[in-house]
Amino acid sequence: MSVSGLKNRSGMARLLPYAFILPPMIYLMVFMFWPLSRQMYMSLTNTRIVNPNRGRFIGLGNYERLIEDPAFYLSLKATLTYTVLTVVIGVALGVVAALAIDRPFKGRAVVRAILLFGWAVPGVAASLIWLWMYNERSGVFNRITELLGIGRFSWLTSTDYALGSVLAVTVWQVAPFVMLVVLAALQSVPQEVREAARIDGADGISTFRAVTLPHIRPSIQLAALLVAVWSIRRFDIIYLLTGGGPLGSTSTLVVKLRQTAFEGHELGMASAYGAVGLALALMVAAIHYTVEQRRMKRMSR
Amino acid sequence: MFDRIRRRKLLATAAVAALAFTVGLGASETRAQSSEKVTLKLANSQWLDALRGKNLWAAVAKYQEANPNITLEQEAIPSAEFADKLTTEMGAGQGPDVAMMQEGLFYAIADAGFLVDLSAAADGTKLNKTNENGVVDGKRLGVAWQRAVYALIYNKPLIDAANAKVPTTVDELISSAKAASAATPGVIGFTARHQINDFSGWFMDFQSWAYGYGVNWVDANGKLTINTPEAVAAITAFKKTYDAGIMPIGDSFPTQRTRFKEKHAAFSIDNSGGTLNIASGGALQSGDLYAAPMPFKNPGAHQQIFVGVSSHGKHHKEAIAFVKWLVGPVGQQALRDASGPDALATDVPVSDVYSKANPWAPTFVKLAETSRSTLIKGYEVETAQIMRFVMQAVEKVILANADPKTALAEAQSAIDKQF
Repeated sequence: MSVSGLKNRSGMARLLPYAFILPPMIYLMVFMFWPLSRQMYMSLTNTRIVNPNRGRFIGLGNYERLIEDPAFYLSLKATLTYTVLTVVIGVALGVVAALAIDRPFKGRAVVRAILLFGWAVPGVAASLIWLWMYNERSGVFNRITELLGIGRFSWLTSTDYALGSVLAVTVWQVAPFVMLVVLAALQSVPQEVREAARIDGADGISTFRAVTLPHIRPSIQLAALLVAVWSIRRFDIIYLLTGGGPLGSTSTLVVKLRQTAFEGHELGMASAYGAVGLALALMVAAIHYTVEQRRMKRMSR
Repeated sequence: MFDRIRRRKLLATAAVAALAFTVGLGASETRAQSSEKVTLKLANSQWLDALRGKNLWAAVAKYQEANPNITLEQEAIPSAEFADKLTTEMGAGQGPDVAMMQEGLFYAIADAGFLVDLSAAADGTKLNKTNENGVVDGKRLGVAWQRAVYALIYNKPLIDAANAKVPTTVDELISSAKAASAATPGVIGFTARHQINDFSGWFMDFQSWAYGYGVNWVDANGKLTINTPEAVAAITAFKKTYDAGIMPIGDSFPTQRTRFKEKHAAFSIDNSGGTLNIASGGALQSGDLYAAPMPFKNPGAHQQIFVGVSSHGKHHKEAIAFVKWLVGPVGQQALRDASGPDALATDVPVSDVYSKANPWAPTFVKLAETSRSTLIKGYEVETAQIMRFVMQAVEKVILANADPKTALAEAQSAIDKQF
């Protein structure tokens, strides 16, 4: 083969990765970065939903209004509380469930299928089923509490229980996903290392902390990151169960965004809410990245 | 010479032939245009209503019989998503040719300049007062589709069984509702919207309570006045009813309507459209359903639906012709047969036969004479945003036992900041 032919081939080889990466990049540009940049720009305008192309540039006006609005802080608080609790409870339950069904036992396949059910059911369908279970008059939960002699509860209309009720549905959906991810990681834990630890006299908890946990930690971290981001942007469950009420106790940023865009018709202001949500999600990703980098450094040492 | 003559003849023949061809083509084009099929898309959430939707569609479909070149097509959107979907579609320059919209949405769409002038459709028709709000900035942008007024409805056999009276005050409503529940186990005393997750329905329903206690929401100068003694009285009355244990707290309104339909509820405050739904196709016979004025001193509210023609549609002329037919005698009669006692664009009386079979209907017809729009005068486009603050105040009162005056003062302060 001639020198020029070789040069051509090496040139082609250099371009090949770009050729592979081009379609997803185009896809992301068209369906993600372009709408995202439009949204960011829109948050600086007074665009209304009925006239999306006629918004006037108003600088940081929407953000100024946000900062002055007490409802924004209530919404931010609801989002953070909901996200943190979903991650903590959802991930903890998911990990426990994964550990429980990691070891073989009779009927494991059936139990695994049942535990995965929550994740498999679409959010809207699940919410509507739970809505009926929470119904004060005819719901199964209040039938049970009445049988127990503790009376009825306003699961979704009381400020004391609404967030907890929404969380229960969310965790029911999220924990199976975490379980699946952690279960996959558990399969990769070398059995011989566990055996060695046990022979050395380590008890169950010590074996878990010294052997199992380091292996599954990256998976737990990844699951926690995904659950956190999904919680920040979750809409269906919250909106269908409480619509953001009572008294704004479940009015997360996404619920507020919908309310601002479609009720108030203020697309510019809604975009500002979206931008805050995006900033939160990026912060979570940054925390994940920092923790992961530190862990990698520790491992390399 | 002969050659020149032949050439001239040839040119003349060609010119005549070309002319004839052009004229012929034009004529055939005109023929094609006149017989060209036009499809008009009509958006309405009511198309999805169990029996009423079918009847309403049958009524408008009569237009097709008289105009075979027009095909009417449904755009059926659930009522909870109707405003979201229509604003999104129209904001993107798309959407139906004709839309049947709630008054608030109608104002928002009109404000955006997405509706065409319907003066031609209204010409020569004696439109009644339900069409007044269809004129925006001096232009007729909408005509009334239906006006559904609110009333107190009740299941007569249940009330009779309890020997309860038809209430004229909130206190009487509470005692009659309790009596009905006590007389027939499992029966709910009173149903009404009461949750913020049903905001758009709840604020419109609540206007009946507010207006019933004399609330205006604006003063004589048009300034928004939320914190008034009348509004405090309205919220206090609602709280009293909420706390009385007569309402199915937590039930969505469709569920409450279904309970009424299945004879599980004694009283409700609902509009004529909702009542027609309750009276159709359920266990409760329409003859057992009665209506009375609401238990308040002043007249209540009505929900109004307007018909508008989208400026984004491709067939304005045909759409306007359809609206003209709709407000004409044939269209109105067809609509009357499917609309129960709802007030229509022209005064088409409810027939005696209908009133006899549906004893609740005449009360609604009577109440429509004095009812008020759910929109705040001068703030039609912003009503939902303003009422969001009001309903949050109501929520604070009923759920957190806040003082109505304090809750309304907070709402007033938030509204003053924003508007």
